Amino acid sequence: MTTWTDLPAMAKIEVVVDGDDVPAVRDLFLEAGSTGYTALTGLSGFGHGGHHHGRLLFNDRASLSMLITVVPIDRAEGLIAGIRRLLENSSGVFFVSEVHVSRPDYFT
Amino acid sequence: MTTQLALTALSASDRGRLVADVSTAGSIAAPYWPLTAFVAVNPLGGLTNLAFADATAAARGWFGARTHLPLEAYRAEHARGTVTDADLDRAILRHDPSLVDRQPLDVGGIRMDPVELVRWDLLHGPVAEPLPPRQTGTVADALDEIMTGWCAAFVDEAHTPWPMPDRARGFYRSWLAVAGSDRRLAAVIGRDARGRLATLPDDPAELLDLVLRTRDISDDGRIAALRTWILRTPGWAGFARWCDQWAPEDRDAMRLRMLDLAAVRAAMDHLAPEQLDLYGCADPAAPASAPADLERRVDAVISAVGGDHREAIAELLGSIDDDDRVAIWLAAHEWNFRDRLLARLTGPVAAPVTARPDAQLVFCIDVRSEGFRRQLEALGAYETYGFAGFFGVPVRWRPLGSPVAQARCPVLVSPRHEIAEVAVDPSDSEAAGYLSTCSATAGLHDAFYAAKGGIASPFALAESAGWFAGPVAAARTLAPPRTSLDTSGTAKRPWWKPFGAAPRTAPVVDEVAGVSQHSGLSLEERTLFAEAIVTTIGMAEFAPVVVLCGHGSETTNNPHASSLDCGACGGAPGGASARIAVAILNDVEVRAGLVDRGITIPADTWFVAAEHDTAADLVTIFDRDTIPVAARTALDALQHDLDVAGERNALDRAQRLPGNASRVRDRGRDWAQVRPEWGLAGNGAFIIGPRSMTAEHDLRGRSFLHSYVAERDPDGVALETIMTAPLVVAQWISSQYYFSTVEPEIFGAGDKMLHNPVGGIGVVVGQSGDLAVGLPMQSVMLGEQRAHDPLRLLAVVQAPLDRIEGIILRNSGLRQLVEGEWIHVVARASDNDAWSLRTPSGGWEPWHLAGDSTSDHRLSLATTDLSTPLSI
Repeated sequence: MTTWTDLPAMAKIEVVVDGDDVPAVRDLFLEAGSTGYTALTGLSGFGHGGHHHGRLLFNDRASLSMLITVVPIDRAEGLIAGIRRLLENSSGVFFVSEVHVSRPDYFT
Repeated sequence: MTTQLALTALSASDRGRLVADVSTAGSIAAPYWPLTAFVAVNPLGGLTNLAFADATAAARGWFGARTHLPLEAYRAEHARGTVTDADLDRAILRHDPSLVDRQPLDVGGIRMDPVELVRWDLLHGPVAEPLPPRQTGTVADALDEIMTGWCAAFVDEAHTPWPMPDRARGFYRSWLAVAGSDRRLAAVIGRDARGRLATLPDDPAELLDLVLRTRDISDDGRIAALRTWILRTPGWAGFARWCDQWAPEDRDAMRLRMLDLAAVRAAMDHLAPEQLDLYGCADPAAPASAPADLERRVDAVISAVGGDHREAIAELLGSIDDDDRVAIWLAAHEWNFRDRLLARLTGPVAAPVTARPDAQLVFCIDVRSEGFRRQLEALGAYETYGFAGFFGVPVRWRPLGSPVAQARCPVLVSPRHEIAEVAVDPSDSEAAGYLSTCSATAGLHDAFYAAKGGIASPFALAESAGWFAGPVAAARTLAPPRTSLDTSGTAKRPWWKPFGAAPRTAPVVDEVAGVSQHSGLSLEERTLFAEAIVTTIGMAEFAPVVVLCGHGSETTNNPHASSLDCGACGGAPGGASARIAVAILNDVEVRAGLVDRGITIPADTWFVAAEHDTAADLVTIFDRDTIPVAARTALDALQHDLDVAGERNALDRAQRLPGNASRVRDRGRDWAQVRPEWGLAGNGAFIIGPRSMTAEHDLRGRSFLHSYVAERDPDGVALETIMTAPLVVAQWISSQYYFSTVEPEIFGAGDKMLHNPVGGIGVVVGQSGDLAVGLPMQSVMLGEQRAHDPLRLLAVVQAPLDRIEGIILRNSGLRQLVEGEWIHVVARASDNDAWSLRTPSGGWEPWHLAGDSTSDHRLSLATTDLSTPLSI
């Protein structure tokens, strides 16, 4: 029987940044050979910078966004290095985790 | 010449870090929108994470630019009375509160307060000597010139005889493919230029890595080094920033990426016989002028008033350097404007009107609306409101027959919907004929201007079309056309549009009837937008006719034409947005949905779309044939009053414009006119509150007016929307005017007389050079005279202070603007409350007038003219 651990392992990278920094993260994804990403805009929550109220009616840039991508583990190194460097000069957090995917060809 | 290092493969980690560093380095460049849809931006927008004082210090270093008026200009304001001693004293004490506790000094037998001494120095002390002009004609200058030529060639599809090769692979690779044939570049590089160019890596990131390693730049110095290359051509860097950050994903034209821009300039620098000092621009404290010698300042005080205490005076003045001196002057100038405005707004408010008005008109918040609204209100029972000119409907608009849909909303919003304009009766053969002719004449128009702007084609064009174009040009020069005062809606036809009646059209707002998959809005969305329009401006009662009036500016031969259109509509005229909003608000299903949300629009209320041409002061009402018979009489009367208001407003504007006052409405049609109108020059305040606050006052077109009634917004949603979007956009506009005025050569677009369009995206001054960003000098100056007071935007809000405070604290971008003193905020809860100032460190303090606080003084300030320095 196939279990989920038998599925190919990949790296999932989730980045939470200000709306203004989304293009820079997107460029890093593409530069690292990422084949796609998902963007969640207008995030709300509470954290280091206090409360975040989510989407504003007429300003898509002022709220936080999360960008999520999945890449083969051997491509994650460059991406992680780039995001760490970017976040040395701007606010934001990112998370890296191992995921198992059913269609690895989608991400390579 | 630098040591040549071997090219090594860039590791994935190094590449990632380098791409991130380019992004950070490039963030200092404010994005530059193509001139087809001009968007005013803060030239220091990449530095708003710093306080204004720190950001301007950094900008002086990085751009070598002035960030304040010269001391002499501020002193002229003092002589004019628009900065007083009391304003200066208040600004001095804000700058250094410890001066309050300092003992007076004995100067020439007179006991002088330290504040008085500093004031004397500000008013009379020696002025800093300007630095000698920067050496020009250097190798770096020559490479900059070559660089700008290649940038233009890369992005310019229409005007180059042949496109650069490999453009799809990016600017660096495309340039590398042809750089070996560039004789000017070879002349600068010198021996074996072609061979050395051929050794450069094909990848821009690898090139940058190579050059940084060759120059032995440490990790800590990389951003400064990259920034130095990028800012050699700040205009093109701004365009690259736009391409990276803001350009629509589906934009067809070539993208100039910051990575490529940095790589090309770094490559040129790498091969040049002498390299740039990569830290030359890295010192944020580098002055733009030589500091005024402290000794001379002290000598000046002593020679003027005598006495001794030389050491104490030197210590006092030594704590205030040249940058502090202009910063204090700016603050004093702002205090004066703030006092004059608030003294006015502290007076009696307009009495509430209980009778139903004949009509209500919603204008854009643009400062140009204020004068027109005042003129119109004086003519009848009209209520006017201010709202962002896209009327809260963020969409892309596809005009009839157009293959392209353009965003008609502030650039802060990404439109998710498209609205198409369609012929009301598509089976009408006249409509089909009109579209066909329209397409043909538009093609002719495009072909003519493409040939006119080409490199070789103008010669052929002169041969073939000169017989026609020559006499037309002569006629337009000798007898500029007059503006038609016909506001029937049929007069506004570009020459290339076909003659005859255009078909009746309408925006398709309903997604069910939409013309394509992504066209139109659902009922829920339409109802939400309608609710937002009504509640944001606090509209509770409705007149029989409610006009939503967008604005645009019809000008000719003006590359910056879109800068005069509606900023809230993405630099386009606002008529389309008004028509869309009107279609939503007249929708019976929407109105039924609004009832469920507690908003009842009477059945006899009809919304009407219109557009105000701010160059001609004409208001054109759209879609008249759809207006119910019952509303037409009221509308005819309104049209008459709109015409009268336009005439009066034009006369008022004529007082501040040079030239023949009787032809003020024709300026937009005159192709030799460099100043068709003043645009938003003079803007200084953003007032959020009911019209009763301002209706009694002539604010001289210096205030954005956003309607807001705090009582109708108990949860603060509407105020949060206003403060996080229109206020932010107004701050960009304010900053654009500010910096274009204080530094017209670097942050402004220079002399309009010398502009040449380039690449369909911008202008250069003269025959070549960097993209000229910002506003032309003629938009903010009249000769040596300023038409704009460079002040930071003052936000004036009538709402509970805790509500405002909560909004500031939970919106980090807004908080940076307020606490970094990019904008000042004053507020009061109601007409009966006193004004309070939001302090940069948080909290509020009562506002009071500088110096004399008697009611006579307040009255004298309240009646002082709010005009800009310009008086003709």
